[in-house]
Amino acid sequence: MEFLVNWLANIPGFALPFALGALGLIICEKSGVLNLGAEGFLLIGAMAGAGAVLTFGGYPLLALAMAALASALLSLVFAVLVILLRVNQVISGLTIVFLAQGLTSLIALKQGWTNKAFTGLSSLDLGPLSDIPFIGPIVFSQDLIVYLTVGLFFLAVHLMGRTNAGLRLRAVGENPDAADAAGINVTAYRFVAVLIGALLLGLAGGYLTVVVSKIWVDGLTGGRGWIAIALVIFARWRIWRALGGAVLFGCIEALIPRVAAIGVQVPQYFVLMTPYVVTFAVMVWTSLSSNTASDEPGALGRPFVREERH
Amino acid sequence: MHRRLITWSVAGLALAASVAGASAEFVLKGDPKPAMIIFSQKNDGGWSQALDEARQKVEKELGVTIPVVENVPENATAIKPAVELFIDRGANIILGSAFGYSDAFKELAEKYPNVVFLNPAGTTNGNNLMSYYGRTYESQYLCGMAAAAASKSGKLGFVAANPFGLVNWTVNAYAMGARQINPDATVTVVFTGAWNDPVKERAAAEALAEQGIDVIGQHVDTPTPQIVAKEKGIYGTGHHRDLSEFSTASQCSSVWVWDRFLVPEIKKIVAGDWESQPYGAFLSIAQGGTDIACCGDAVSEEDKAKIMAEREAIMGGKHVFAGPLNDREGTERVAAGAVLDDGALWGMDWFVDGVISQQ
Repeated sequence: MEFLVNWLANIPGFALPFALGALGLIICEKSGVLNLGAEGFLLIGAMAGAGAVLTFGGYPLLALAMAALASALLSLVFAVLVILLRVNQVISGLTIVFLAQGLTSLIALKQGWTNKAFTGLSSLDLGPLSDIPFIGPIVFSQDLIVYLTVGLFFLAVHLMGRTNAGLRLRAVGENPDAADAAGINVTAYRFVAVLIGALLLGLAGGYLTVVVSKIWVDGLTGGRGWIAIALVIFARWRIWRALGGAVLFGCIEALIPRVAAIGVQVPQYFVLMTPYVVTFAVMVWTSLSSNTASDEPGALGRPFVREERH
Repeated sequence: MHRRLITWSVAGLALAASVAGASAEFVLKGDPKPAMIIFSQKNDGGWSQALDEARQKVEKELGVTIPVVENVPENATAIKPAVELFIDRGANIILGSAFGYSDAFKELAEKYPNVVFLNPAGTTNGNNLMSYYGRTYESQYLCGMAAAAASKSGKLGFVAANPFGLVNWTVNAYAMGARQINPDATVTVVFTGAWNDPVKERAAAEALAEQGIDVIGQHVDTPTPQIVAKEKGIYGTGHHRDLSEFSTASQCSSVWVWDRFLVPEIKKIVAGDWESQPYGAFLSIAQGGTDIACCGDAVSEEDKAKIMAEREAIMGGKHVFAGPLNDREGTERVAAGAVLDDGALWGMDWFVDGVISQQ
């Protein structure tokens, strides 16, 4: 029982970086801009978050905002490359990853942020609510960002599906020529989508340091950006499915060390590969199920050139 | 770092199994001019920083300047230009830092027979090339003693990267050391599958703390487990360097003291009586390489005296894995009167009584 509570209570923290990252990617890619730079945006957010806490000596929420802003700043480079200069989106995305790896390493080194422990953001204590047995620790003892993320998902689904702006954004990603003919500013929509995506990715990265690890080391994100990219494909660009996938990953990541800590003897490499086995299984299952429709944007990865014939 | 370590155990086996090539005495031409290349940042708080600190001590002891270059990745196209630039500038003793340098150093050593190459965690050796590593089971055995001394429950935890020989021997030695102080002590191990992932290390340490474990040892690269121990009001023991720098919870650390090996080694090279070893140098506490930083407040003076006495015994030749020794399944691993040979150490894939872990 205690095991179950500990496990379930830890899931949101593990799922959150994947969930926010995947949401950011979906918003960006719905506008037709393929974003392979996720790992880079996570890294810059993670480093900026840690650096801000260390510099200001606290204020974790401000640090998370700085994380999102730092990532958005880097995304301006990406947006100029792929939207204005129409550079290949795959190559630009990878460039962002390498740029962020070098940049975070250099800045953290020069500022002396590496390997410095800090306090970070702690979980909320909602008094009597948090004390309810079973439900209290799981639902009412998370940190602020977890609740914020749930809100962000509802907001994103509403904006994307039920507002004119969301409809236009999807039109831009589906068929930029038609959207342009209908008077939508394709460049502006794509710019904003890339920026919002990067803000969310940066927040996810900041969460990794400010809330989870409470320390910065080189390459801290450990490939989580790539997992977010895989999640988006696996969720077929659908927001709720992406959240489901992120929670699934969170379940497994929170379970692995706990299974080991209670001394259950199962082969270690088998345990470490479970997230990937489960991903495979779900992908096979979704492709076999009757509802195979994908929400992949029609113009994903295609630069928009006004009045160009295709 | 993980790329370097992943293959250590395999490499260790190959090392033990390979046939020794005859090595002749090496003569250095001119004054000694060492230079160091490091695969990551030199202030990484762990492995590389320990090497850089050794470099500074060697500089002082020998009165030489040792230039260093950081972030040279573990592939030949990056290593060769860095090393050759140093050699062009007159360097004749090249100090490496990684398993991943092994092959490139082998080629370079053949191309530059008048330059000595020394590489920690490497696997290649030759006339003018020698790899070296520390017998960390000795230092982790002593840390296990400190952990049991600090523990009230006798339940110890350990955050480790991957179950290779060189990780398994630290886990086993940790448990054996702990049982010197408390015969009922157990060590629960969580393998994170990564060398440098504070997120997974925190998850592992928190999961251990939830189970009532009150001292957490580690064989991963970041100080995260020690920081979690402090947050939870329990204790820990560190690896690579003295981690009490990061967390007051840290009671003992297995530390690298490479200068104790490098200073006499370079002196020998200069004097002309140095000879490479066919399997590289595998250093005990007595030979330099590894040692402990001990102890914190939670270890009583009496227990500290016991730990230091064991350290003396080990330096005097006591082997941690001396027979009779059975694994936790009851299979005899070391016969009475024998000690575990180096090949079996590098290939260690079993655990002793008291270790609770996945397979």
